[in-house]
Amino acid sequence: MENLLVEYLPILIFIGLAVGLAVIIPIASLIIVPQKPDAEKLSAYECGFDAFEDARIKFDVRFYLVAILFIIFDLEVAFLFPWAVSLGTIGVFGFWSMVVFLGILTVGFIYEWRKGALEWE
Amino acid sequence: MYIAAVFLPLIGSLIAGMIAFVAQGAVRAEDTERKKRLDLASQLITCGAMLLASVAAILVFIAVVVNGQNGTVELFTWVDSGSLEFSWELRGDTLAVLMVTMVTVVSSMIHIYSIGYMSHDGSIPRFMGYMGLFSFFMLMLVSANNLVQLFFGWEGVGLCSYLLIGFWYDRPSANAAAIKAFVVNRIGDFGFALGIFACFFLFDSVSYDTIFSEAAAKSTATMNVFSGEFHALTIICLLLFLGAMGKSAQLGLHVWLPDAMEGPTPVSALIHAATMVTAGVFMVARMSPLFEYSDVALTVVTLIGASTAIFAATVGCVQNDIKRVIAYSTVSQLGYMFFALGVSAYSAGMFHLITHAFFKALLFLGAGSVIHAMSDEQDMRKMGGLYKLIPATYVLMWIGSLALAGIWPFSGFFSKDIILEAAWGAHTGIGQYAFWLGITAAFLTAFYSWRLIIMTFHGESRADEKTLAHVHESPKVMILPLVVLALGALFVGILSVDYFVGEHTVEFWKNSIFVLDTHKALENAHHVPIWVKFLPLVVGIGGIALAYLMYMFAPELPKALASGFQRTYQFLLNKWYFDELYDKIFVKPAFYLGRGFWKAGDGLLIDGVGPDGVAAAVQHLARRAAAMQSGYLYHYAFAMLLGVAFLVTWFLVAGA
Amino acid sequence: MPLATLPTLTPALPEIFLAIASMLLLMLGVFSSEENNTRTVSYASVLVLIVAIPFVGLVTEGRTVTFGGAFVTDTFAVYIKALVLVSAATAIIMSKDYLKIQGIERFEFPVLIVLATLGMMMMISANDLIALYLGLELQSLSLYVIASFQRDSARSAEAGLKYFVLGALASGLLLYGMSMIYGFAGTTSFDTLANIFHDAHGHVSVGVIVGIVFMLAGLAFKVSAVPFHMWTPDVYEGAPTPVTALFAVAPKIAAMGLFIRVMVGPFGELGAQWQQIIIFISVASMLLGAFAAINQTNIKRLMAYSSIGHMGYALIGLAVAGTAGDAALQALGVQSMLIYLGIYMFMNIGTFACILLMKRDGRMVEGIDDLAGLSKSNPGLAMILSIFMFSMAGIPPLAGFLGKLYVFQAAIQAELYALAVIGVLASVVGAYYYIRIIKVMYFDDPVDELDRGISLEMKAILVVTGVVIVFFVFYPVPLLTGAESATAALFHK
Repeated sequence: MENLLVEYLPILIFIGLAVGLAVIIPIASLIIVPQKPDAEKLSAYECGFDAFEDARIKFDVRFYLVAILFIIFDLEVAFLFPWAVSLGTIGVFGFWSMVVFLGILTVGFIYEWRKGALEWE
Repeated sequence: MYIAAVFLPLIGSLIAGMIAFVAQGAVRAEDTERKKRLDLASQLITCGAMLLASVAAILVFIAVVVNGQNGTVELFTWVDSGSLEFSWELRGDTLAVLMVTMVTVVSSMIHIYSIGYMSHDGSIPRFMGYMGLFSFFMLMLVSANNLVQLFFGWEGVGLCSYLLIGFWYDRPSANAAAIKAFVVNRIGDFGFALGIFACFFLFDSVSYDTIFSEAAAKSTATMNVFSGEFHALTIICLLLFLGAMGKSAQLGLHVWLPDAMEGPTPVSALIHAATMVTAGVFMVARMSPLFEYSDVALTVVTLIGASTAIFAATVGCVQNDIKRVIAYSTVSQLGYMFFALGVSAYSAGMFHLITHAFFKALLFLGAGSVIHAMSDEQDMRKMGGLYKLIPATYVLMWIGSLALAGIWPFSGFFSKDIILEAAWGAHTGIGQYAFWLGITAAFLTAFYSWRLIIMTFHGESRADEKTLAHVHESPKVMILPLVVLALGALFVGILSVDYFVGEHTVEFWKNSIFVLDTHKALENAHHVPIWVKFLPLVVGIGGIALAYLMYMFAPELPKALASGFQRTYQFLLNKWYFDELYDKIFVKPAFYLGRGFWKAGDGLLIDGVGPDGVAAAVQHLARRAAAMQSGYLYHYAFAMLLGVAFLVTWFLVAGA
Repeated sequence: MPLATLPTLTPALPEIFLAIASMLLLMLGVFSSEENNTRTVSYASVLVLIVAIPFVGLVTEGRTVTFGGAFVTDTFAVYIKALVLVSAATAIIMSKDYLKIQGIERFEFPVLIVLATLGMMMMISANDLIALYLGLELQSLSLYVIASFQRDSARSAEAGLKYFVLGALASGLLLYGMSMIYGFAGTTSFDTLANIFHDAHGHVSVGVIVGIVFMLAGLAFKVSAVPFHMWTPDVYEGAPTPVTALFAVAPKIAAMGLFIRVMVGPFGELGAQWQQIIIFISVASMLLGAFAAINQTNIKRLMAYSSIGHMGYALIGLAVAGTAGDAALQALGVQSMLIYLGIYMFMNIGTFACILLMKRDGRMVEGIDDLAGLSKSNPGLAMILSIFMFSMAGIPPLAGFLGKLYVFQAAIQAELYALAVIGVLASVVGAYYYIRIIKVMYFDDPVDELDRGISLEMKAILVVTGVVIVFFVFYPVPLLTGAESATAALFHK
């Protein structure tokens, strides 16, 4: 039982830090930053949209396209770090798995490039 | 060979049927040329098949009867279920092959005749197909080697009879007659089927050989019917005889036969004179090993037969439709056959069956020839004076009538004589009853036969001029079969009398007919007083003379008699009011009951709760089920979650 | 560290082939000229799918496991994969004209179908919960996209969206169930799970049971069994018709294969626990499929309910396979189900080929009324559609009848009499709407004629499926032996 709880100790510390930061940062911004509110500053930040108008409006789909493409490659990097760290233990299979993964991503990248998804105009 | 004789008609009929129902549907109505070719093809195929079948049948006849071979052919096992086991078999004894020969020969003649008679009809292939099919079923019936196969043929001929009576289905009267024939036969067949069940119950078998060999051993067995003990064989025989009464139009169940004349004349000749209606006679002769052990059944057969003979003869005397006269004559002659069977003179009955087949077919086809000549007129009151216009038909009708009236040396003489003598020779009360009624009927037979001839062929013509102008002798294709049948009517009797009932009777029949030693009617028939021998001939001539007197020399007499004895005349004209009686007792109540069941039982209860109710419920459910599909995503998701929740709950509650 | 070395790749050869081929197809499409790249890629995709069949067929017996036990190949997988590949290939063939008419000729369509097929094949061969989920998602994601392939049409977009949202929910249920099972059993491997439950002799914790129920719900969604069927009519109606044709066949068969693999594999020993659920789902599907279709006027929607009903009949086989402890009976259930699926594939492909031929003045029509008088304007098409409808209704001697016969027989053997009786009753009700289509074609007054002219490919599809349906009764051996050896792979390890 003891051991079990000890194993979860880092998580407890992590939760504590998270809560602490979440409290400290807004309070700090209240104290440290000069307060000169105006309409723009008081509205919620919403990707360039007005937060309080009709949800059914036209918007440029290209924003989303770029965002989605970004996420894919972002995740790729997120996979690459642990892979790189543990490459020693996962062996040849691990290495080739990632190569295949990257290959597939590359095919997708070529596709979107050819399709013109990366061109803004 | 035997197989060919039985199955060739089926093959011919199937091809004709294909032509009728498949090929002809593809031909456009305007394309008369093609239609003609199809007609011709169907005629040639069916007639060819029948002719080949009759040749085969004659060969079988020679092999079995003359050379004494056993012709039984086993085809394959039909049913093998528990102790019920029987095969498709063709029985090869004298009785069966005799019938097969007669049926194929007469049928092929009538097939050929039909080519001419039906030449103006629109659906020749259908007609030829039905005729061929009928022939097959009839052959199946007579060649059966067990009761179930017999029943198969029995029902098959009934079906074909129905189809052919109603052949002209655009005539309401033909449809009514067809239904009547079917329904009345059903009553008989019900008894017949019960008889077969009883047979199986008693003998644990339906095959002839077993039944016949065990009949003697079971002759004292009893059977429990409605909680009373009865003599088993009597029960069986009476039930079987009920079937025979229906099929052979015996008194009580005869009402369908005269109406059956609505069918085309070749049908009347083949089915309702020569072959199918004699199936009852054949069946009783076939089952002679059973009937012999039941005196009660034999007495009933004699009683019904004799009564039918006289009843139909009286009615025949006043009918005006040429075919109806012959139809009643058929009923009457069937009565003869039955009382012959009833006094154990089976061979005499069969003899009459064979001779009758020839001369009655001849008479019918002759009548058909007359009708054909008269542009489909059947009422004798509108005929007369035709003998100069259609001499060949006239001569042939004479031959047929002489045979029917039993004048020497025509075949009817021999067979009718021996039947009446056997009735006398039975030395029983019922035998005497049959004898005297038979003599009277013989007198009437001769009378109405010549009444028919005189009204049709002699005197002034009563037809209108248009019809008269069209009168013509029938084509060769119709006359030729008539000649063949006429030869039969002339010679079959004199040539075969010794074999059927005379010296060679034992070698001829071999074991196919069984008579107890104590039943000596046929033996006694050869030793009756001389006046008994001559009486039938005398009354026959007397009847002819009376007909001449009344219709040739003193034409006012019949009218005077009719008005003088109005009651009797009406009674006879209306066929003893059988139809009216049945209408009151059976038909009306049945209709009433049927309407009740229809409106209340079927309409309200069964339709309301059953099909209609179920259909309405289904529609309702369908609407509800479709309404669940609202189209909203959240409804769908909600349904899924509910489903999961339901399943989990069910599991935790019921599963644990 | 079992994964440190390179695993044998040969068992997964067809999947690897398809994966590489799909990427090559994508490149082919994107690098060839705009005018006819759809044509080229379509034909190439069909070729790829057909070539994959012999690859699949390399396995003739036995059972091979690779990727650390996560991937399995056996005759069962071969049977299902063959059906899936055939139906996917025909779906592409059938889509050719339709895409042109609707103006949505884009080469991604066949590529997506190939990818979906790859997903299906992976889930059929899954031998691990994670592998199962991977295959399922690859399939589903591709299908979501092609459901809304006609993106200018509100109906198509709606269909895709509904399918996506509900599919995501179902995936969630499935994942939740899987995590429960992992939590309580401690493994995701099918083989290990099977051993654990075998040793437990039917006594397992509630958590596992709940997990199974959640997994069942997720899988039932994929085969559109009641009460997880709600998406089916809307998606079938809204999606482009060739997509509907694909939906009705390939994913259904694949999901059924997965269903069988999961239920009789790891959870085979727990039949007593899940048989009741399958019976319930089966009965509900049969009844809903029979009743809800009656008032439909759109033939695609009707086919949606029809396929719900058919899945109900197929699930009878699975219910029989839930008779724990009697391997022969279980095998009988699975076998009857596999035969049913094979026949179902042929009937549906044929029917959808007919639906895809319903054009008037060059535009697609989908109303049942539009078929009125078809017997006069196009007797051949009317006749063959009648054959399919009679077969679906289960009229002897057509294949559809025999399929039903096999599953009902299996139910009788397993003494699930009520199930068989309800099945028969439901098929009586169902016969109404199938035969109504025939009535409309043969007895209703003709409306404007449908366009004539049937392309060679469609003719071939119609003739082949028609011949199979009509003559199956005379020569059922290939399907029967296929189903038998497929079943054997599941029960004789």
